[in-house]
Amino acid sequence: MNRREFLAGGSAAAASSLIASQNRTWAQQGPADVTLTIAPLHLEIAPGKTVHTIAYNGSVPGPLIRWPEGKPIAIDVFNRSSDPDIVHWHGLWIPSDMDGSMEEGSPMISPQGRQRYSFTPRPSGFRWYHSHAYAGHNLKKGGYTGQFGCFYIEPKDNAGHYDQEQFLTLHDWNPSMTGADDASMDVSYDAATINGKMLGAGEPIRVRQGQRVLFHILNASATLTHWLACSGHTMRVVAMDGNPVPVQKSVEAIRLGPAERIDAIIEMTQPGIWVFGETRDELRKAGMGIVLEYADQTGDPRWVAPPETQWDYSQFARAEKSAAPEVRIPLVFRSKFTGHGDFDHWTINGKSYPKTDIVSLQKGKRHRLIMQNQSTDDHPVHLHRHTFEVISLDGKLMSGLKKDVVVVKAKGTAEVDFVASNPGMTLFHCHQQSHMDFGFMMLFRYA
Amino acid sequence: MIFLFACALPGPLSAQDNYEIQVYGAETVAPKTTMLELHSNFTADGSKALPNSPYDADGMYPTNHAQHETVEITQGLTNWSEVGFYIFTSSRSGQGIQWVGDHIRPRVRVPDSWHWPLGVSLSTEIGYQRRDFSTDTWTWEIRPIVDKQIGRWYFAVNPALERSFHGESVPHGVEFSPSAKISYDFTKVITGGLEYYAAYGSLGDFDNLHNQQQQFFPSIDLNVSPNWEINFGVGVGPTASTDHLIVKAIVGRRFDWSGHHKKGESESLQ
Repeated sequence: MNRREFLAGGSAAAASSLIASQNRTWAQQGPADVTLTIAPLHLEIAPGKTVHTIAYNGSVPGPLIRWPEGKPIAIDVFNRSSDPDIVHWHGLWIPSDMDGSMEEGSPMISPQGRQRYSFTPRPSGFRWYHSHAYAGHNLKKGGYTGQFGCFYIEPKDNAGHYDQEQFLTLHDWNPSMTGADDASMDVSYDAATINGKMLGAGEPIRVRQGQRVLFHILNASATLTHWLACSGHTMRVVAMDGNPVPVQKSVEAIRLGPAERIDAIIEMTQPGIWVFGETRDELRKAGMGIVLEYADQTGDPRWVAPPETQWDYSQFARAEKSAAPEVRIPLVFRSKFTGHGDFDHWTINGKSYPKTDIVSLQKGKRHRLIMQNQSTDDHPVHLHRHTFEVISLDGKLMSGLKKDVVVVKAKGTAEVDFVASNPGMTLFHCHQQSHMDFGFMMLFRYA
Repeated sequence: MIFLFACALPGPLSAQDNYEIQVYGAETVAPKTTMLELHSNFTADGSKALPNSPYDADGMYPTNHAQHETVEITQGLTNWSEVGFYIFTSSRSGQGIQWVGDHIRPRVRVPDSWHWPLGVSLSTEIGYQRRDFSTDTWTWEIRPIVDKQIGRWYFAVNPALERSFHGESVPHGVEFSPSAKISYDFTKVITGGLEYYAAYGSLGDFDNLHNQQQQFFPSIDLNVSPNWEINFGVGVGPTASTDHLIVKAIVGRRFDWSGHHKKGESESLQ
């Protein structure tokens, strides 16, 4: 027996022993409330157009999980794919070992393995779950796949006034490395979908005149920011990243960075057949759109481009200054050139993950992340296991806007505050898969 | 974006027309975009006039100390095709500025959506040049293009085939004129490389080395902006049939008429 065979045999024996042990443990745990199975999928996104991906329970998006706030949940995840994977519960205040990030200490799920996630979902609102696996140059893994789904935590007191509720998930498909305008490689895509279907290929959203429809919209793209507009209608933004906004406002179009969510109410006052889709022609033609169909209306779906708009988070926030923080954490983002034929690498305060410094948090104190983006890319930065308040963007002060992802513009600045109230390792990273995989991550640790 | 696209056109056939000295990359100009390039080439040591004649041994104006300026206008048609148009000029002491000829060059490439591991493109070029500047006046070229960028390294090969329809090379049939480039990104802005241009002669009956054209150009590409293309090189021709020393420069400016922003850009919704 050579060393390779010895290791292989040893691994098999260990795996067999581990599985037997897990089976005993699982039998004691009782049935799960939700089961997810990670497996390869041939997804037909339009007639004759199929993408080969990995998904949860054979569908894209994965099953909608609706769960009452404060009620414990047990979720079993089976991995039937050929690579280790992990499920991150995005936007939830849960322990590090359940959060689904190996950097924080959550275990990877080996091929043919399974993992039980048990936690009490909170806070209420529109959260989601997705693969948190490393992809690197393999654009068939992690966030590039169909491994995502909506997780709606029902508030104890639902203040919503609506007649119908719709979940929309945006995703881009068939990624490839191509040259980018900033002289390094970037990811581009062949196709785009809403709820796993290209524009016109799926069932329309059927509405009736006079209805108020609450849309929960998630940008589950691995790297792209998306703009959406509903032809002929305005959207009243009521929540961002699942958190009610202090100032509700009607807009012609919304912008979502990767991992951002927006809850918006549309009043159905314009009978017809409309396109709800990407505002940029090339992305809408690539498939990012869905048909909105009023009852008793016929005809081809109509697209009406919204007027030019600049996205401004502050329109949904209060204008007054927020409370002063007790701890300030400066973070400087830069890119590191590695050749015109490769992705840039990324640094936070001059270091790439895993060499980035580990920031110490003081429990109970209000911390301010003071971010300076010196690169030429936008960064949708995400803080795990906490919700932050946006304090300023490019020097513009605001308060009351609670999020877990915020886009820090190229050459821009952003400040966000959060209270260190959920002890455990906490990951901070850019949610563009090609950025986080190449260094744009940092760990926070409670002192 | 690969800024090296740069490209090449060693002189058609056995003539030395150092007008556009560039190794083509597989990338094409985007639709609704125009690329305007100026190729400036000075032959420091080239062919010389015969005694008491304005022409060299081939009956052409000599290239020694000639300044060649070529305007290249390339229009992107689709995300996999373009068409280029050339205006060749020459100036030399005692000859003033001379119009040399024009070429037109359609080109197609393998679309990104095919996800090929290499960039692959096919260019064809047809055009006229005056007899005073080339032994062949009507020529046609077909140029396969293969390139690859791996990290900091870039490779491109153009195994071009040329055919004369009018001139001395007509009996030679199809001739083989390959070019190639290898380069390395020293920084985000500065790329250094080596370009190679050759004309071997007729397919199946190559000229001997003495009569082949062989040129080597150490070169620098400056990637100062997505909208600009800048390339410098100094070429050495070691064979008797090659201009021995040429200095070349390419300055290109891209004009985007689409009004579109970069895909995925967040500033604006259109």
